[in-house]
Amino acid sequence: MITLTSSDGVQFDVREAVAKESQIIRDMIQDDCVITNIPLANVNHKILSIVLEYCQMHVDKTEMEVNASKHQTTTGEGSSSVPVALKVSSNKNLNDWDKEFINVDLDTLYDLILAANYLNISGLLNLTTQAAADIIKGKTTEEIRATFNIKNDFTPEEEAAIRKENPWAFE
Amino acid sequence: MDSESESKSNILMLGGGEEEEEIRKTTIHKRLRKDKELNLKPESIFQKPIQSKSMEVEIWENLPEDLFEPVLARLPVAAIFCFHSVCSRWRGILTSKTFYEQFQGVPRSYPWFYTVTHTHSAMYDPSAEKWHRSTVPFLSENGNQNQIKSMVSGKGIVFPVASDGGLICFLNLNHTHIYTCNPLTSSYRELPPPTNVPLWSRVSVVMVSSTDGYKIMWLSCTGKYEIYDSSENKWAHPVPVPPSITIPLALNFRSKAVSLGKTLYFMRGQPDGILTYDMSTGTWKQYAIPLPMSFRDCMLAESQGRILLVGLLTKNCANCVGVWELQRMTLLWKEVDRMPSELCLEFYGNSLRMNCMGNHGGLVFLSLKSRQVNRLLCYDVAMREWRNVPARVNEFSGTTDKGPWISCGTAFDPCPGAIA
Repeated sequence: MITLTSSDGVQFDVREAVAKESQIIRDMIQDDCVITNIPLANVNHKILSIVLEYCQMHVDKTEMEVNASKHQTTTGEGSSSVPVALKVSSNKNLNDWDKEFINVDLDTLYDLILAANYLNISGLLNLTTQAAADIIKGKTTEEIRATFNIKNDFTPEEEAAIRKENPWAFE
Repeated sequence: MDSESESKSNILMLGGGEEEEEIRKTTIHKRLRKDKELNLKPESIFQKPIQSKSMEVEIWENLPEDLFEPVLARLPVAAIFCFHSVCSRWRGILTSKTFYEQFQGVPRSYPWFYTVTHTHSAMYDPSAEKWHRSTVPFLSENGNQNQIKSMVSGKGIVFPVASDGGLICFLNLNHTHIYTCNPLTSSYRELPPPTNVPLWSRVSVVMVSSTDGYKIMWLSCTGKYEIYDSSENKWAHPVPVPPSITIPLALNFRSKAVSLGKTLYFMRGQPDGILTYDMSTGTWKQYAIPLPMSFRDCMLAESQGRILLVGLLTKNCANCVGVWELQRMTLLWKEVDRMPSELCLEFYGNSLRMNCMGNHGGLVFLSLKSRQVNRLLCYDVAMREWRNVPARVNEFSGTTDKGPWISCGTAFDPCPGAIA
């Protein structure tokens, strides 16, 4: 068990495997094998609990898969078709879970991106940055400028020229 | 549900005495968050821009620079090009080397397809289920870029024959001109003419890209072949095909060759099977693998390291598309899926033809043509799903209301940074 302490002083006791979903924690544990308490100065308890929920789920799923494949080899069924089907369905479940998990408000999403980046949890960083991309992808150029508070510094001629470079994208 | 509640109980909170109260509060707080979350649809924030705008702007504005690129790199390809016109800073980011690297690092579920009908060429994005005009620049002297007609000039008609790393290799009919082109950005290169490609006879062309450029190989049934290296910009004549390989190769030209790592797979006949060439060692191998019974129009496809064979099964006027997978141990084709019968019914009793593009990653594009109807389908290999492809009737005008027939095309990875 490893104890993680959030920036606001709340302690979370988690299994080592769960904590190790974070690359930065994995490195710390490798460097110093007796480490048991890790303070995380940049993540508050609210966000940390969400992050750990993610790590827990992904560790559980991976372990389940490993056990299933172990079972497969001990029962002596060499055929690859069963585990493939199993893997597809379990991946689908996990993707569905991820989708539901990332269904959060923009504020939380923003904090999760920062936390995933700080803790270096690549799966969570993928998931959160993809969610952010999905939010802005449907916007028009004007909406993007409004959302990001950007001033258009192109002249109308320049903008028209850029559109002409890749006309297929503006259809 | 079980695993979720279990996961929560596994995340224990430590403490004692006074802290316990604090912990209880935290747990309650957590529940509240969850409850709130369940009632809160994320769209609601964005569908009411007036109320949330200021908060939204504040949040996006604060996103650190180094996290901005990973978000943009996950946009759909078309959106990336659209957002070039947001402002000069965005344009700078979206055309930077680091952004291209980020983009390459993002796993994408599907390739795109470059398709050619007898009048038009177009790109299909299966993730967005959207067609885009093709903007292949060469041979478009008259500036009319979207039509294949513009490719008809002194150099003849140009066909997409291979692709890799975001680039497509185009070859003209009489083999005098070869181009590579990124269809997204119009970056292109005309290759020096290969010295020995037999004029007018058919060749199989395959492309393999690496970090320092790309290689293109053409192979004819006589066993003649040449390899182009983009870093040297010239064709090389490697050692001849060894005598252990049966000549003539009887290559299946309708099937694209596929590449797995540095190994190229060609489909051959007499004997039916696979011919492989290892790009790194220069070794040829042939495997006699009997084709499934009553099987025609078959073509190779590749999906996550699996070599697949896609073709038409015909029995007493009933037609069906079948998918087989190469069994490397037994060297046999093993059936893995068939088109669902409700789709097959449409083609009952008709003389059906099929064209298939599955030379890159996970998705196979099928063009089916019968007397009554033409249909476009995509088959997702991992999910085992058959999906209709919306035909873009306006773009494919001239193909009548039967729907378009894709006579030629290739799968490719959309890649904004690929330079020919």
